[in-house]
Amino acid sequence: MHIPDNFLSTPVWATLDAAAIPAVGFMVKRASRELEDTSIPLLGVMGAFVFAAQMINFPVGIGTSGHLVGGALLAFTLGAAPATIVMTAIIAIQAFVFQDGGVLALGANVFNMAVAGVLAGYLPFWMWGAGRRRPVIFLGAFLSVMVSGSLALGELLISGVAMPRPLVLVSMALFAMSALIEGAITISVFQAIEKLNPGLVQKPDAPNWRALFVFSGAALALGLVGFLLASSAPDGIQRLGIQLGLAAKTGFHAPFADYAAGHFDSAWLRRATAGLTGLLVVYAVCVAFAKMIGRRRSA
Amino acid sequence: MHHVLLDQWSQGSSALHNLDPRAKILALLAFLIVLATTAPNAFLTLAIDAAVLGAGILIAGLPSGSLLLRAMAVLPFSLTFGLISWLAGDRLRALGLVEKSYLSTVAVFLIVGTTPLPLLLNGLEALGIPRLLVLVAQFLYRYLFVISEQSQHLRLAASCRQGSGRRRRLGFRAAAGALAVLFARSYYRAEGIHRAMMARAFSGKFALLRRLQFGLADGVFTLAIAAFLILVRIQ
Repeated sequence: MHIPDNFLSTPVWATLDAAAIPAVGFMVKRASRELEDTSIPLLGVMGAFVFAAQMINFPVGIGTSGHLVGGALLAFTLGAAPATIVMTAIIAIQAFVFQDGGVLALGANVFNMAVAGVLAGYLPFWMWGAGRRRPVIFLGAFLSVMVSGSLALGELLISGVAMPRPLVLVSMALFAMSALIEGAITISVFQAIEKLNPGLVQKPDAPNWRALFVFSGAALALGLVGFLLASSAPDGIQRLGIQLGLAAKTGFHAPFADYAAGHFDSAWLRRATAGLTGLLVVYAVCVAFAKMIGRRRSA
Repeated sequence: MHHVLLDQWSQGSSALHNLDPRAKILALLAFLIVLATTAPNAFLTLAIDAAVLGAGILIAGLPSGSLLLRAMAVLPFSLTFGLISWLAGDRLRALGLVEKSYLSTVAVFLIVGTTPLPLLLNGLEALGIPRLLVLVAQFLYRYLFVISEQSQHLRLAASCRQGSGRRRRLGFRAAAGALAVLFARSYYRAEGIHRAMMARAFSGKFALLRRLQFGLADGVFTLAIAAFLILVRIQ
């Protein structure tokens, strides 16, 4: 699910970078208010744990095996905001050290897995809390992988990577499979941890943190949109993308292309403006949201 | 292992190693952005970009064969998608996916291979990435090796307990148990680390042996690389 560089078109990765930066910034602010000093090494070591956990294979069916993705487990044990930070750090290290996922696509990967994935995974936990434990954990883990996967697929399709319909359906089915596996793994690991030391498993803080609820709902909705987009005909997506000014085939050429004055025609200019405006709007909305929530919290 | 090798590479002392991490990060971003907006069939531009990377590898004195080979790790993914695009009739995109994703990977490799990761993270912090996130990443990288080794031990222990026989793979429950133990141990280790840090008067920041200094050479390097790449791109 780690998208490498140059798979997404420029408007798509630029927009997602612009969306991921304030989102992660907000989570950092949120987490530093919640956490004590003790937690800094804890978050880092838990990141290393998720990395290492991926070396342990779980047998599923004949000849196949899955491994823990970890976003939901982290959210259930550390809380949503710290889990986002740990996942962001993991994705960044994967991009830089292991060349797993691109650097420009970092925003996209962080948004899919660390922000939307973690929030969507936390949603059932937030809503139903400690009651009905097993289904809640399963659903959370399932959603976290499913939402990340659908978003990644939707982004690739919007970027104009042409995928025939059967292939899209197959990848959706694969995502659903791995989401089910993630659910099963998360439940069994969670219960084993609880057996070892119940204190390690955070009681869901049922905060009246309405912003989280809104964000989680939005993440889930976005995932749904990705899912629906992906399962409709890819042509439809491209048409939609063009209408939104997103599917500029060649990508818009970044502001410095102004020097190449002879090269651009009005169509290119329109697309570039549309892309830039979209980017600015997303950024402004995110910043305004974060500011507003920050003010309400401090009031 | 992969990241051990990178660690060794990044300990060198070439001109590229000695640049300020911020200069290298900015140059990398310039390179990636220019590459991302280059048309897949602008072969001259792509060749010049590749030549820039080649020069970088030579200056840094990195083992080029090993580096180029390791960067191919991205190819299975981009070749698959390239093939799909090719079959869908979008040949230009197919070409672009393969060649550009490979060049991007080599570029990231070059920068990470000439900058120790802690220094790179410090550079990112100096460029405005939140302190908490950077600290978490620092700890993550520091303990990655320790915890990975522990997970290998746990896996070995679990498969020993399982006994020999036709089932050489870990059972589902055994794997879950191993992970839970790993989780608990990581948790306790973090507590220990925190106490040790407090005992050594941790101030909320990692001390560096060498202060980051963005000098004239760094500025010239970044500007020159960015200007050169942009000039090549718009020609």
